Amino acid sequence: MKKSLLLTCFLVAAPGLADAEMSVFACEPEWASLATELGGNLLQVESATTGVQDPHYIQARPSLISRVRRADLVICTGADLEAGWLPLLLRQGNNAKVQAGQPGFFAASDYVNMLEKPQVLDRAQGDIHPFGNPHIQTDPRNIGLVAEALNQRLQSLDPANVATYEARYQDFQARWSQAIDGWSARLEPLKGAKLVVYHRSWVYLFTWASLVDVGALEPKPGVPPSSSYLSELLARLKDQQVLGIIQSSYQPTRPAEWLSERTGLPILILPHTVGSVSGVTDLFSMFEVLVSELEAAAAGSAK
Amino acid sequence: MNWHAIDLSILGPALVAGILVLSTHVPMGREVLKRGIIFVDLAVAQLAGLGVIVASTLGWEIHGYAAQAAAFGAAIAGAVLLTWVERNLQSVQEAIIGVMFVLAATASMLLLANNPRGGDELKDLLVGQILWVDMGSLVPAIVLSVLVLIAWFFMRDRIQRVGFYLLFSLSVTVSVQLVGVYLVFSSLIIPALPTRNMGGKGLWAAYAVGLAGYVLGMVLSALMDLPTGPMIVWAMACVALVVGFWRGKAAQV
Repeated sequence: MKKSLLLTCFLVAAPGLADAEMSVFACEPEWASLATELGGNLLQVESATTGVQDPHYIQARPSLISRVRRADLVICTGADLEAGWLPLLLRQGNNAKVQAGQPGFFAASDYVNMLEKPQVLDRAQGDIHPFGNPHIQTDPRNIGLVAEALNQRLQSLDPANVATYEARYQDFQARWSQAIDGWSARLEPLKGAKLVVYHRSWVYLFTWASLVDVGALEPKPGVPPSSSYLSELLARLKDQQVLGIIQSSYQPTRPAEWLSERTGLPILILPHTVGSVSGVTDLFSMFEVLVSELEAAAAGSAK
Repeated sequence: MNWHAIDLSILGPALVAGILVLSTHVPMGREVLKRGIIFVDLAVAQLAGLGVIVASTLGWEIHGYAAQAAAFGAAIAGAVLLTWVERNLQSVQEAIIGVMFVLAATASMLLLANNPRGGDELKDLLVGQILWVDMGSLVPAIVLSVLVLIAWFFMRDRIQRVGFYLLFSLSVTVSVQLVGVYLVFSSLIIPALPTRNMGGKGLWAAYAVGLAGYVLGMVLSALMDLPTGPMIVWAMACVALVVGFWRGKAAQV
């Protein structure tokens, strides 16, 4: 905290340095991390939320508005993930360059295949996102797709540095696809493994790694479980070989603990973004930790 | 320190919202404190929220005038009930206000049991964040505040008890949507605390405490990069504490 305050002092005290860079405002840490991979020190990147925050909600701070006002590029997930605050922030920021639809506004969900797009919109189904499930960053192939689009966007916004962006992008994409191959190979034995989730925010991970979702602690997205629902879930899990219960660090742990006590299943707090658990400092370590946790759970249940 | 964020175009609308809320809440807060009905604003805000939720359960359009009408309707019904309680059950008035608060809050939960995030959206509608205020949304609030202030200061003798609760409910319904329930409670109670027993000058002293709290809180929230609403609450409490301490000292001498 103190460190980051000091760092902020330093950054603000050196405005001359910042002028040469493009100022990037990311809604979530995974996109801040990706922008840093692609732009390096050509970009000055800041994230509105941290890895331990629920990106659905944030408290308004003056600095958020002033950052949006000075931003050259705003990178968000889109698909209504930030519907509760991003429109307000963009309005108060009053920066024509980064309004939705402008080149300075980049919505990552525009560049991936959205899953769980509802056929019928019905509030009775809980917190359904009309544009599909917005938690796209848990499939590493999506990160690659977004990187491709973001690279093009950076080049068109900052043509003076096209060569640098292209070189960094090629380098990132080479390392990333190599890393994906490694992770996929390690998850190969887990194909078909059954898991309980807290909130259905892992559908992209499950699709990539061919994991099976056998139930969610939330009966409907955003609805806390009732006791009758939990006992029904418990009955359903009885005769199944389940690997564990997965959830994000910002979600309440009591429902998972309740289920874990009664079933003996381990709780896996998987990193859903950069900075969400300790040791996850960039996109590579995020998936490294995620894959290792799943491997460890599989090893534990094999014993 | 984050000097960029101290920018009148960022903090200006929030400051205007703060001044508006203070203008009606400071005099009302003195009255609330005198009557010992501290939590009446929480009950009224909850009732207004319940009104919107009932309206949406009935399938009404929740954005715009229908929702506002429902919020005001519920708040006014609460005002009438509170008047009756004060007249007939005065000895347990504060307890009944507390019960009204939990009933309204839990009624919302029951109505929204199967509609979670939709419910959060509805609640957000009624609990504003002061930094998100824009000048456009302030216009109706300015008009209402002026009307309330005129009624409060010039027609006080005629409006009586029902009038007090009516004006109070209208003001709280508007201000909660602008600045959120914590700031409404603080603007009402905190400036009134150290300036009680000050007679006629007390009103202006209370205004000064409130305004100092808002300005100090906004500046600190910009400098320290912390949420603005909670920062104002703490700044106002600190100002009130200093004023209270200083008055206590002065009284001893």
